Amino acid sequence: MSEDVPQYLAAHIHDRLADEADELGIRVDIRGDLVYLRGEVATPQQRQRVEAIARDIATGRRIRNEVHVVAVLEPEGEETLS
Amino acid sequence: MISVAAVGDLHVGSDVRGHYRKHLTGIADRADLLLVAGDLTRHGTVAEGRIAADELRDIGVPVVTVLGNHDYHSGAELEIAEVLRDAGVTVLEGNGTVVHCDGTRVGVAGGKGFGGGFAGRCASDFGEPEMKAFVGYTKSFAARLRHSLRSLDDADVRISLTHYSPVKDTLAGEPPEIYPFLGSYLLAEAIDESDVALAVHGHAHKGTEKGVTPGGVRVRNVALPVIQQAYAVYRLSEASGRR
Ligand SMILES: [Fe+2]
Ligand SMILES: [Fe+2]
Repeated sequence: MSEDVPQYLAAHIHDRLADEADELGIRVDIRGDLVYLRGEVATPQQRQRVEAIARDIATGRRIRNEVHVVAVLEPEGEETLS
Repeated sequence: MISVAAVGDLHVGSDVRGHYRKHLTGIADRADLLLVAGDLTRHGTVAEGRIAADELRDIGVPVVTVLGNHDYHSGAELEIAEVLRDAGVTVLEGNGTVVHCDGTRVGVAGGKGFGGGFAGRCASDFGEPEMKAFVGYTKSFAARLRHSLRSLDDADVRISLTHYSPVKDTLAGEPPEIYPFLGSYLLAEAIDESDVALAVHGHAHKGTEKGVTPGGVRVRNVALPVIQQAYAVYRLSEASGRR
């Protein structure tokens, strides 16, 4: 099965994240039986959703969810372009 | 001097309704206008377009936006633009507008733009129809951007606003393999043919804020994950030009 080939598995996870979670910017890397998810999402729920999708496909592998939730901070400072 | 607030990639959805708007309180004290560099929504549905419109309605300064690739995802880009216009937001797609800020005429031209890559490492208008369509779309957008920037000749300050990037400087942090999907040098070439004070874009969430076109125009990637604040503020004067 192509899911046993790490490169194909990473690509399939990436595709499903775009399809089902509308996340295009998550990097998926597979090292042995670990699946690393890296990138940024808007909410903690979305972070969990990304992990659940990866877990669903990557049966038998462990997930390392290194996805960050982007914090929108109050605007601060300015840049003068002269 | 005018103060331009800019942000991109809000990617609103029903789970974050009203979140962004909270950060816009007081924007009128900090900026003369707000530019939004596309990807207002996640899936490009009209429902999300309405949420985006509510975030940006009546914030106390004029809002000028372009759409991004996500806003096209459901084939509802025209409806989304309409919903935004109904909320008083100016939506550009290959055209320009002049905003009057305290006696300064600020010209903004732009649109979504598209990819293709950067000089020396870019797609060519050659081969299969699909490839020609890809490059042709960017070329025709660049022609409209060039024309609309030139048509802003009565503005005191000119700004280019796109979703895709005109340069690769501001993509630093993204994998180089995907640069051709993040922007095109054709946009920079169009920008460099007018006296542009600032080129604003989004789309490259893992990119870098600051860059410059080959012709010396300052480029700023204002994608929310890049600037990590509700909006960045750039102060420009009539004399702001190439570096
Ligand atoms: Fe985006
Ligand atoms: Fe985008």
